[in-house]
This record gives sequence, C-alpha cells and structure tokens, in this order.
Amino acid sequence: MPALFFVIGKVLMTKFNFTVVALKNLKRKPFRTGVLVFAISLLVSLIIFSLSFIASVSSSIKKASDRLGADLIVVPIGARGYAEAFLLESKKAEFYMNKNLIDRVKKIEGIEALTYQIYLSTIGGVCCDVEATRIIAFDQESDFIVKPWLKKAIGRGLNKGEAIAGYETNFNLGVELLDLETTIFHNKFKVVGVLEKTGTALDNALVMTEENIKDIVGSGKSPINEGQISLIFTKVKKGFDPYEVGRTVEGNIVEVDVVARSDMGKEILGTLKDINKIFLLSIVLSSILAVFLVWAIFSAIANERSREVGIMRAVGANESHIVKLFIIEVFFIGLAGSLIGLAVGTSVSLSLARGFKLLKNISASLTVLQQAEIAVAGLLIGIIICIAGALMPINRIKKLEPLLAIKEE
Amino acid sequence: MPQIEIAELTKIYSVDRSVITAADNISLKIEKGEFISIVGHSGSGKTTLLSLIGGIIRPTSGRVLYEGTDICSLGDEKLSEYRNEKIGFMFQFASLLPILTAKENVLLPGLFGSQKNMTNERKAMEFLEMVGIGDRANAYPSQLSGGQQRRVAIARALMNEPDVILADEPTGDLDEETEAEIMELFKELNREKKVTFVFITHSLDLAKQAGKQLRMSRGKLAVSEAEPLCAPAL
Repeated sequence: MPALFFVIGKVLMTKFNFTVVALKNLKRKPFRTGVLVFAISLLVSLIIFSLSFIASVSSSIKKASDRLGADLIVVPIGARGYAEAFLLESKKAEFYMNKNLIDRVKKIEGIEALTYQIYLSTIGGVCCDVEATRIIAFDQESDFIVKPWLKKAIGRGLNKGEAIAGYETNFNLGVELLDLETTIFHNKFKVVGVLEKTGTALDNALVMTEENIKDIVGSGKSPINEGQISLIFTKVKKGFDPYEVGRTVEGNIVEVDVVARSDMGKEILGTLKDINKIFLLSIVLSSILAVFLVWAIFSAIANERSREVGIMRAVGANESHIVKLFIIEVFFIGLAGSLIGLAVGTSVSLSLARGFKLLKNISASLTVLQQAEIAVAGLLIGIIICIAGALMPINRIKKLEPLLAIKEE
Repeated sequence: MPQIEIAELTKIYSVDRSVITAADNISLKIEKGEFISIVGHSGSGKTTLLSLIGGIIRPTSGRVLYEGTDICSLGDEKLSEYRNEKIGFMFQFASLLPILTAKENVLLPGLFGSQKNMTNERKAMEFLEMVGIGDRANAYPSQLSGGQQRRVAIARALMNEPDVILADEPTGDLDEETEAEIMELFKELNREKKVTFVFITHSLDLAKQAGKQLRMSRGKLAVSEAEPLCAPAL
C-alpha cells in the first residue's frame, strides 16, 4: 500500500498543480496526517466488517432457502427450529417422523411433487473412522434437491455403498476424501466425489442414498429406527398459494409442522436485526467521533495556515481555489484511510468468519458485486466523513480577507 | 485615463473598542509606468494604502479605479483575477510558502491564473535566473538566505507579468549591496517593460530614487513630485 501511494504521488507530482501543494501539505506533518488516516481507517474497517457480516448472513440465508428447490418443508411437529438449524446453519440436529406420512402429504391438494431426506450425525469412536459430521440420505427416485448437484459433480447417481462429500466437508474432516474407503456406523463407504459449493446444508454433509440407511440402522449405533425419515420437501402446483397449501397440510396431519421457503431463517434474521442495530449505533458514534476529530485537526490546520492562505489569496487565489486545495488534502486523507480500512475490514471479516459460529455454519459468502458494493460504500463513507469534518474550518479560512490572514501571524 | 485612480478612499479598522483610521480620504492618480515611493512612520497607513490598491483589503468608503474599473465593486472571483493578472505583490516579510521550492513559489501565481500556460515552468526559471538565483530553484525557503528569499518573492511578483508591482519594504532586511541590486532590477523593469512600481520604504535615499514620492502621516497622504525615472506612458 505505501509503495502504491509513493508511485501515485510521483506521477501526480511531476507537474506543479493543486495536488502537488496538497500532498506537500500532508507530508509536512506526517504524524498528524497519520492520526487522521488511522482514525478514518478504523471507521471504514468497522463499516466494512458490519456491512459484510450483515450482507453475508442475510444473503446466505436467502441463497440457502432459494436453492433448496422446494416450496414447503414438512417436518415433525415441534422440529421446525431444528430443521432450520440443520438446513441453514448445518447444525447437528436429529428429528424423525414416520415414513408413511409421505402418502398423506401426497394426497393434499396443490402438492405437485415431493421427496424426503433423512439426517444423521456420525459419532466419534470405533463405529466411524471420520470426524463427527452430518449425513444426508436421499431417495434417488423422487429426489429433486440433490440430483442437479450430483450430475454436475460425477455425472451419475450414487450406488449403494457410495457417498459424495459436500464442498466444505472435504476440508472440515481434515482428510482428502476422494476415492477413500471410509467406515460409518460399521458400514464401509466409498467417497466418489465432492459436490460444488451449493450454499445449502449439502456443503457440510456426506451425502448418500436412502438404501444405505437400512444397513446403518442395522448396526444399532445410530439414533434412527427403520421406517423413519427427517423431513419432506414438496413442490406446490402452479396457481396454488404455498402458504394455503401449508396450512392445509398442517390442518390435515397433526403430526407435522410446515415451513414455507420464504419463512426460512426468520429467527436468524430477527436476531440479525438486533445485531444490525448495534452495528448501526457503533457506526454512527464512530462517524461522529471521526467528524469531530477531522474538524478539530482541520481547525488547527486552518489557524496554522492562515498566513499562507493570505499569501495565496494575495497572489490571486480566489475562495474556490482555497477550498479546492483543502478538499484535495481531505480527499487524500479520506482515500488513504478508506483504502487501509477496506483492507483491514476485509481481513477482519475473513478471519472472524472462520471463528464466528454463525458465519462459519452458514458458510457465508458474498458475490463479487456485493463485495464491490460494500467496498464502494466504505470508500465513499470514509471520504464523505472526512470532507464533512473539514468543511467548517475550510469555509472559515476561505472567507478571511488576505491582509487580515497575513497579519494574523 | 490614469492607470490607477484612488478617490476619497477611507479605511477604518475597529480594534477592541478603539477605531483606527488607517487611510483617511485619500485621492491619488497613478499613471502607467510611474515609479513611486511611499514613506512614513510606522502605523501611518502605508501598508493599508498599498493593500487597498492591490485589492487585498476592501475600503470602508471611496473607490479604487483600475483603468476605469472600480475594483472595490468586484466580486471575489474578479478581484482575485485582478490581483493575479494585474498586480505583483511583494510583502515586507518573507512571504514564501515553506513547503514549496523556490521555483514552485514562483509558479504559485500561475497556478491560480485563468490561463494555464504550458510554458510557466520555463518562465519561472527565466525569472529566477533574472533575479540571480536560478541555481537555487529547487531549494526550499529554509535553505535560502534572507536576500535570496527576497529575490524569489520578486520573481514571484513578476511571474504573471503584471502591469503594477506593489512592494512593501522590498529591501527591508537586506544588506546594502543586495538592496542596490534589487532597486536596479526594479528600475530596469520599470524602464524596459513600463511596469508601474509603488514601493514602501523607510529609507529616504531609496525614496528619492522614485519619480514620485508620497508621504503618509496618520492616514493622510502628501505628494511630492521628483524628476521621473521614466516618462509615463501616454
């Protein structure tokens, strides 16, 4: 970064112009300039981190629920929260209901298609030779959730005794899983590939077909019994309101709860709103502090330079020249602070994301466009705050009569 | 038409609760190419008169006409343009910007000029050569002696090739030799380029070298004509 500024400075300073004067002014008090740049960089770091956090969590939840590919999720009664925790945050959750509920759901008017999944968590110990992880078993025949990803990864379905690793699972388990023979609940599985990043629970799971579950149940080590499933994904026919269909399902089958796709993650988003408020308050307070700091420093600068400004006015500078000169200085402080803040804020977000449970489980990620928007917002806010703080002192000094400014010394 | 016409010019300062009349109903005509000195005791209003002519302060009443235009009625932009293009100002103190080199200080009026001239750098060097410190162009004011700083200030005053140079004790703290050199430079510019010079001095010897000598006392002006150093342009 300093090297970049050096090169930019050299290029800008080849001809005598306002930028040269502004940069020389900044160079004359390096400590003071450094303090301002540091203050702005702290503020921008906070803004970048806050915006990244909020945006990544919100968009990850939306992405995850959108990519589920189902309009309604039918779960055992009381298991709505567990299901969301598993699907959105990849949290360990074991909830089961009777498989024969599938036929009852199928009969509800407005249901176009459905498929089911079974969730398990492996346990450390002699039964399994991989670290504790989630297992998703799906019905290959009716499935419309896993197949598109599977096709992309290996171009075919899974056979008995085969599993495929989710994108994150490959790293989380700390072993290179591909073509590895692994033992889960005393059953041997061959890991035949790794799925692309899906932004859903698949990322943090080992995925296999339902027919393997029978063998796992037979081992007696898993919490599941035969004839049990975790949840049912349903698609709603065109022209039917998913909420209405969901209410009908709940009204007809008392053993289940229904979650609509658009309601997924409501609890997390609610918590996020509170975190959002805390971040907003911190940003507002920090911004006020930064504006005050810039104002105080530029008031001192304006007093110090009143004679120089008087000389410039006497040799022909008008008020807008003086404003331009100071604004360029402030702009460079804002730009340098914002760029440093951008780098620091991004590093902090990335390093905290690794240790932050919510971000880690959600496998939060931002698109390039979102990252660019956050970067631009951070840069603009940093520069605008700098200019806002300096405006009053600049306005005062530009109005000084040249001779009075000169004689003030 | 005189180049500069001052009519019933008054400037009153309010300092604490007292009122100081620095210029008291002054009227004066300055023809193009005149070489004028102003003498007077400290606080007699010399600098105020020079500043009023140069448009760096506004009068309490009265008018300053430059080639028929009342500069006191000009807005900030036009008045700044007047200071930049028509006037070259030399202050009684070292008035260089410490962060700029000698050459950059000379370039300063060009920075604020309406015509961005690509030859400015060359011109600045020429003026520095003319005042005899071309070899110190890249030195900062702190690296220059008092005399050298004065020379840079002269080069700066000349940079935009003004019609009038207003100099407030231009040789104030210089040794006799440098003082003579600078006065010779002024006379040369006056003679060859018909630049009007109005300068303040405490030295009667220097004042006598001017074609017209003005004396200020308690804000009032007295004029005494001497043999002009060059004929006023018609």
